[in-house]
Amino acid sequence: MLLVGPSGSGKSTLALALAGLIPRDIPASVGGSLVLDGTDLQRLDRPALAARVGLVFQDPATQLVMERVEDDVAFGLECRGWPVGRMRGRVPEALAEAGLAGLERRRSHRLSGGQQQRLALAGVLAPRPGILVLDEPTANLDPAGADAFLDRLRAIRDARTTTIVLIEHRVERAWSMADLVLALDGAGRPIDVGSPADVAARSARRMHEAGIWLPAALEPPVEPRQTDGAPGRPDSQGRSEPAEPSGSSRVGIEARDLSFAYETGRPVLEGISLDVGPGERVALVGPNGGGKSTLAQLLVGLLRARLGTVTLGRRNPARLPAAELARLAAYVFQEPERQFLAERVGDEIVLGLDLARRPAASALLADLGLPLERFGDRSPFRLSGGEARRLSLAVALVRDPSVLVLDEPTFGQDRRNYERLLSILDRHLRAGTTLIAATHDPRFVADVVDRVITIGDGRIVGDERVR
Amino acid sequence: MMLNRLELADSQLDSPLGRTSPIIKLGVGIGWLAGLALTLAWTPPLLLAAVALAAGILLGSVRVGTLARSIAPLWIAALGIGLFNALYSTSNGDPAAATLVALGPTRITVEAATNGFALALRVIAIASVGAVFTLTTDPTRLADALVRQARVSPRFAYGALAAYQAIPRFGEDLATLRQARRIRGLRGSWHPRLLVTLLVLAIRHGDRLALAMDARAFDSGSMTFYRDLRWSWLDAGVAIGASIVLIGALALGR
Repeated sequence: MLLVGPSGSGKSTLALALAGLIPRDIPASVGGSLVLDGTDLQRLDRPALAARVGLVFQDPATQLVMERVEDDVAFGLECRGWPVGRMRGRVPEALAEAGLAGLERRRSHRLSGGQQQRLALAGVLAPRPGILVLDEPTANLDPAGADAFLDRLRAIRDARTTTIVLIEHRVERAWSMADLVLALDGAGRPIDVGSPADVAARSARRMHEAGIWLPAALEPPVEPRQTDGAPGRPDSQGRSEPAEPSGSSRVGIEARDLSFAYETGRPVLEGISLDVGPGERVALVGPNGGGKSTLAQLLVGLLRARLGTVTLGRRNPARLPAAELARLAAYVFQEPERQFLAERVGDEIVLGLDLARRPAASALLADLGLPLERFGDRSPFRLSGGEARRLSLAVALVRDPSVLVLDEPTFGQDRRNYERLLSILDRHLRAGTTLIAATHDPRFVADVVDRVITIGDGRIVGDERVR
Repeated sequence: MMLNRLELADSQLDSPLGRTSPIIKLGVGIGWLAGLALTLAWTPPLLLAAVALAAGILLGSVRVGTLARSIAPLWIAALGIGLFNALYSTSNGDPAAATLVALGPTRITVEAATNGFALALRVIAIASVGAVFTLTTDPTRLADALVRQARVSPRFAYGALAAYQAIPRFGEDLATLRQARRIRGLRGSWHPRLLVTLLVLAIRHGDRLALAMDARAFDSGSMTFYRDLRWSWLDAGVAIGASIVLIGALALGR
């Protein structure tokens, strides 16, 4: 079964309830009942429940317990009291089912993100659960990692011995794997449930309105978002529309022979040379761990290159005092919660901000669906994933940066938030802001950027103009 | 700043000291520590430090360079502690005591220097034993031994092991937070507020990890164990050898 719904519709809550963690480990008031093979979930004890339901979460880092691959797969079996002989037989099997055969003695932190997520899958599969619940398992993975993960999931599905409940935002591949689709609306009420074909025929429009992504082929026709061909570009006569945000001067970036390595280990980047013109919109794509974020951080002086030079508007950004750098560039980090520095949303947005820009801040937050009246006193750490992402974007945009860097800006966003993000971004890009976005999202690349640079193994392996 | 994982080579883990029960090694460390408290002489700590380092290299297959890198800062700190104690010893104010060095108003008596040096030697011994323990002990094996040989609660031991895996993550959190400060024009890469955020992030990570462990039936009944772990003659040998070394060292220090 594929479970879809906009942010905050209760998909993860349902996953936790299916695994019996709600209300057991997370106190909650629960109505109704969950019946598993004729037994009420509430009446099963923990080992019995865990033997039947396996749960895979979004972030591999929060699921792996042991240092070695085989030990981690065995962990769930140890907890259920399996005899050693059976464990020794089952661990390699489970690893093979997850496509990790032969990696038993490896250290799990040495695996790629995609392999780590399949290791989490192997650990959950090991006790042969009847039901496998996966909560956005591919959201943190690069396209290759996500494909490998879904390949394994398809193989499990085709074996037809395990019930699968998959929660995803981006459903291009998952849609065709499902026998059943359950769509929830923003309030957590079911919109529709049925076979993918029936649900698409009956409810595509309502799902679209609720902000749910559908496979591109099934999206109901919508009136074009922009009238001119390239959204947000000044039109062909060279008349640019009156842009609302102003004051950001156009700034380009030059990088020459950049190399970078962290304190220990092999170089992350080697010999990168790159020119980004003022107002250009560049996507950095390529596998995770290839050096995209590192390059983005070097380009705006958040890291200092070991060799080579970076010039940001005629200056070396790594040597600029913080206050001057902040006037030129803004950076939205991959994980919003790692960049929040204040206790309240209202303080977060004005931290380090010129007084003159404060009125703009509250208008921007309202535009992004985070009005200060409602959110001002909330803790940034208590926001939903989508809200936190929009707050981090607001913090960057309110400064009218000449150069804006976004690290995985669309990660885990439902369709409505994605469109909101795009329209706000659009207004700023029209004013001539240079955009550098590290991203895996083909849709974002198609909608926003005009140049795609592919980074692989620390080098530029592709550089093409797409618009 | 990056917090790096300590990664032991397989040769370290398969060496005699690597295969010795971590419980025995902990016991030896504590026993030696207690023994050192009985004496102020110079020989016992010197001898114990030398035996520990030699055992690490010969029985633990620890590379000399690795060992030197890990103990150098501890030794420097130990000498600092000794010097500090010599400088601020109360006996420096005693006019009757013999003077070792006098620099203007600063005076160090023989007694103060002796005590300071003895203290430094003991810290050096403890640091050396600790470094050899760390460099020959697999964290997973330590957790296993704590649970199965020392009857520590699995919730504590494996919880701590999972938390230990997350340590490099805190370094990354801090690095990103500092970058976030810089790009927002805030001066100085350090601010007390960062500690609060770090704590929040650590707690959130711990919550999620605990949830995932609970979903895998952690601590919900009696556990079985995948990895082999049993007492062996090696454990007895290490325990007896360490006791003899301690007794010998104390005897020499008389």
